Amino acid sequence: MNTAYEKMINDLAPKKFGWKGNAWVAFLVVVILAGMYSYVQQLKSGLVITGMRDYALWGIYISNFVFFVAVSLVGSLITAILRLSGVHWSTPLTRIAEIIAVAAIIMAGITIIIDMGRPDRLLNLFLHGRLQSPILWDVIVITTYLVISLLLLYYPLLPDFSILKRHADHQGWLSKWYDRLSLNWSGNEKQVRIHAISLQALSIMIIPVAFAIHTVTAWLFETTYRPGWDSTNFGPYFIAGAFVAGSGAVVVVMFVLRKLYSLEDYITDDHFDKMGKVLVLLCLLYLYFNINEYLIPTYKSTKEEAMHLQSLFKGEYAVLFWTVIIGGLILPVIILLFRKGRKPLPLFLVALAVVLGAWWKRYLIVIPTLSHPFLPIEGVPQSWHHYAPTLMEWSITAATLASALLIITLLVRFLPIVPIYETAEERGLTETSQPTCS
Amino acid sequence: MRTYLIYFFLLLANAAFAQNPTHKARVSAQYVKVMNREAFIALSAKYKGENGFEPASGLAIQVYKKMPDDSLFYLGVATMNPEGKTKFVLNDSSLAKTKESSVFTYVVKIENQSTYEDSETEINIADAYLSAAVEAVDSINQIRATLTDGSGQPLAGQSLKVQLQRMYAPLPIGEENYETDEKGSITVPIEAPMPGVNGELTFEVVLNESETYGTVKALVTAPIGTPIVDQSTFDKRTLWSPPSKAPYCLLIFPNLIILGVWLPILLLIINLFRISKAGMNT
Repeated sequence: MNTAYEKMINDLAPKKFGWKGNAWVAFLVVVILAGMYSYVQQLKSGLVITGMRDYALWGIYISNFVFFVAVSLVGSLITAILRLSGVHWSTPLTRIAEIIAVAAIIMAGITIIIDMGRPDRLLNLFLHGRLQSPILWDVIVITTYLVISLLLLYYPLLPDFSILKRHADHQGWLSKWYDRLSLNWSGNEKQVRIHAISLQALSIMIIPVAFAIHTVTAWLFETTYRPGWDSTNFGPYFIAGAFVAGSGAVVVVMFVLRKLYSLEDYITDDHFDKMGKVLVLLCLLYLYFNINEYLIPTYKSTKEEAMHLQSLFKGEYAVLFWTVIIGGLILPVIILLFRKGRKPLPLFLVALAVVLGAWWKRYLIVIPTLSHPFLPIEGVPQSWHHYAPTLMEWSITAATLASALLIITLLVRFLPIVPIYETAEERGLTETSQPTCS
Repeated sequence: MRTYLIYFFLLLANAAFAQNPTHKARVSAQYVKVMNREAFIALSAKYKGENGFEPASGLAIQVYKKMPDDSLFYLGVATMNPEGKTKFVLNDSSLAKTKESSVFTYVVKIENQSTYEDSETEINIADAYLSAAVEAVDSINQIRATLTDGSGQPLAGQSLKVQLQRMYAPLPIGEENYETDEKGSITVPIEAPMPGVNGELTFEVVLNESETYGTVKALVTAPIGTPIVDQSTFDKRTLWSPPSKAPYCLLIFPNLIILGVWLPILLLIINLFRISKAGMNT
């Protein structure tokens, strides 16, 4: 028996939660239950329980949806783009990225349903949907991206399940599940060939679909003629922002998991250093798009745009806006330019700020624009001109975020965080008794 | 005990048959005649309520014609709509002139109403005729209108408005008012080309709220407008059509993209079965 190989499996195999893990799951379940209670109230009373009215007809549900869509892009970045580029250092991070992508895209779909006043009419969208509408494009592309993300998560897991079914022998039921999910993987030549071709195809396919999901989501805004959204720049602006949010999320999750599962041998300081460099590059790219988005409308300053920008730069949203731009983009770039800033803990803190900034950035994209339409709505109370999420909305939104974290947590509980098979292959750790592809 | 019961029933009866406070309604009556079409009395009524003047909706007003011997000939009743307005159409017999004069007197009365005090308003109207025609002089279209009294004598010095009928409100043509000359006529050029259904334009010449003659209106339709071309896209394939009328490009390309993505996805799912099958043989 190859002890190095055995040690690696022991290190990387999913582990039962301790009290901390169980407490974390319990906390998430409580948040989700509170959100479900609020959602039942929303189903009973309608969207009147939210702060949304004639002006702000999209609230934090939609900004939260855009955030989830953004985070889901990370699957295509870490897994597909880096895989196709022949970058091998990212192997230990691919599973984390795929898990985050799956959790985020599932919750993006659910969040859209939450935003519907009449979710019982969801089927009508498919029965009577108009192909002319970006809403239907979004529905199609989200469904497609979800399926591809699930396949991209599942394919690399096949050899790992085969390894785990033996490792989890002492846990009968789990071993049975791993056995079923491994699809009789034995690593024979035909399986390896089909597996490799499929993974290559998935990696290629997910990139245009991922770009499409973000572009179409941007079009949902762009095709609505409003100050702040009337831009041809929105597609790439959203994609750049999505890369930032997703990479930040990966750094946060990889730091926590490395700490909890003692994965220092697999997720090294070098991975953090490289992810820090990726993040700084993406932040700079996003900053560039931000400058484009705000500088030119400021220069032109048409009446409505000026009013909108005024509310962002100096008005109602100024504190939030500058906190997000400085704290979520400029400071991270400055910190991450230094090697010390890319050490695990500082990078984790920076990434956390980036993710929080990314969530609030979506809020700033959605809400202020709705307060300043080109055509003011007549005959509505003054209070409807301003939007403030209600407690119910916060609780439902918190539940969606908790649900995403719960999906990640449960997947981490039952799936290896670092791909075992690929890591073993890269490290040359094979054992004659173990299935191999060569 | 019996006494208390009697008091109790008296109180109940009082409550049941109690009437609302009586209002004093202010009634406005305006005689309107549209030449060759109809004549009516436009009625409006309001009363001073708790929140200022309010429309006297539901108020029934009796309309009479005053005969030469000062007797009243009952014409009918008109009931106010929720906005406190109504229109009492005068039929031919109501309009029949007396031999002695071409002056009509109508009396509108509020009578025996539970919530409004009785009142009476009288309107005296002298008969007038207004004729209008559109004619082209030196290639310029113009409206010529003539106002005469009941005996056919021209009415000079009266202010007439000329306007074009539009969907929501009439569009004034030329100056605000034109004064009739000694022949009782006005001539108004129609300069700007204006759109109309099938090129037809309906002009109104109006003697508005005259104290003597009321409102007299003549309508004239002429095919001198720019025909409105139907720009409806109802039967076309547009971005805003229902799903069955989506533009072909939006049916072909998205479906091709969907097929182009979902066929490989299907193959990838089939590949999972192939991997499973390949593992069974070893």
